[in-house]
Amino acid sequence: MIIKVLLTITMSLFISSFTISSVKAQARASLEDASPPPTPDPLEWFNQPMFQFNLKLDEYVLRPVATGYAKIVTPPGRRRVDNFFKNLMVVQRFANNLFQGKFPKAGQAVGRFFINTAIGGVGLFDVADDWLGWKDSEEDFGQTLAFYGVSSGPYLVLPFWGPSTIRDTAGLAADAAMNPMNYLLSTTEALAVNSGLLIGQAVNTRSLNLDLFEDVDRYSVDLYGAVQDGYLQRREKQIEE
Amino acid sequence: MMSRRVALWTILGMSIGLLSFNAWAVADSPMDMIRVTVEQTRTVLEDPAYQGSDHRQQRLGKVKEIVLPRFDAQEIAKRTLGPYWKDRTEEQRKEFTQLFTALVEKAYSSSLDRYSRDVQFFFDQERVEDNFAEVDTRVFDPALNKTFSVNYHLRQVNGQWLIYDVVVENVSLVNNYRNQFNRILSKSSYEDLVQKLQTKLQQLDTASPSES
Repeated sequence: MIIKVLLTITMSLFISSFTISSVKAQARASLEDASPPPTPDPLEWFNQPMFQFNLKLDEYVLRPVATGYAKIVTPPGRRRVDNFFKNLMVVQRFANNLFQGKFPKAGQAVGRFFINTAIGGVGLFDVADDWLGWKDSEEDFGQTLAFYGVSSGPYLVLPFWGPSTIRDTAGLAADAAMNPMNYLLSTTEALAVNSGLLIGQAVNTRSLNLDLFEDVDRYSVDLYGAVQDGYLQRREKQIEE
Repeated sequence: MMSRRVALWTILGMSIGLLSFNAWAVADSPMDMIRVTVEQTRTVLEDPAYQGSDHRQQRLGKVKEIVLPRFDAQEIAKRTLGPYWKDRTEEQRKEFTQLFTALVEKAYSSSLDRYSRDVQFFFDQERVEDNFAEVDTRVFDPALNKTFSVNYHLRQVNGQWLIYDVVVENVSLVNNYRNQFNRILSKSSYEDLVQKLQTKLQQLDTASPSES
């Protein structure tokens, strides 16, 4: 009996130690690499003023509006509004998944739209994720371009929009061209509806991240460099996935 | 009879050997180190004796005691300076390491004030490669209804695992500071960087007590 217990313990310990050592491998050459080259920024002469402009825009317009809005609408309410805006991006999600050969995800993007629109109260509730585990796949045309080997090009700060790159700006234009509003409405109507939606989404997103920017500001010594690197690192990972 | 006893002792001995070997291995695992550190920190933050803004300093001091020895401060400082580290004198390296550690400490201690016991931690996996390791974790913040990925990069120094980088939502802390510092260093000087760090520290000093 004792031997049996001891054997079981020994075996399980042995197996556990084996699993610990077996995850060892997965070679990563860069584990020790201390200093990759500094981030090039040939357009800094343009980016720096745009960055300052966006900071002021945030300080005097976006943040105050988002703060006021956050006092009226509860956090769950704002998350639903966020779902609503994301649900409208169905064409972009579907097309870019398709372009990258991610067929199941392209299918899910369409499925998500119909389920969330029909059952999730015109997209306010993300039931496709909650019930079926169909996650929103944040694909855009910038990622599609990267998928086909287009390199990012220089870092670029866009007025109103924020950090981007040359490639991702081209991607933004392509995504905007795919917007179904452009085909359903007249030019002026589409412009009004699209800018209204964009502003609404900007305010809502900002209201969900009120502390975020202040945190980055507190942690950083050079805010421009912190935001630049944060954007580029996160974008690189997004494209990898 | 005799052989049976020998067999019993052999198995017993082997089990004890394996057990102690394993206990050693488990205690040394980077993921366990991270988990224990997080749990000890939680215990302090949830301790009734340390609640409220009156006890902020004590609470932070206690957390510092737990967390700071887990970080390889000089290695982090070295990596944030990148190519500029080798040009620094021993004295400057010490000065910079101290300033940078103070900055990170001050900046992040205010996020501890927002801690709630509903926050959930998930310790997903670890990768070990010689003297280097990565531990993948996630943090769920119910207040934001959001899960953040937090990956720790560690290296073994004198048999002890120490953190030399933290990657939050795919942004490496070390890389981010290196980009900031390299921008300053390539445009002006090391002295200017020190000046900027000191100004930042003063700002954080005047800002944080009123917050709590």
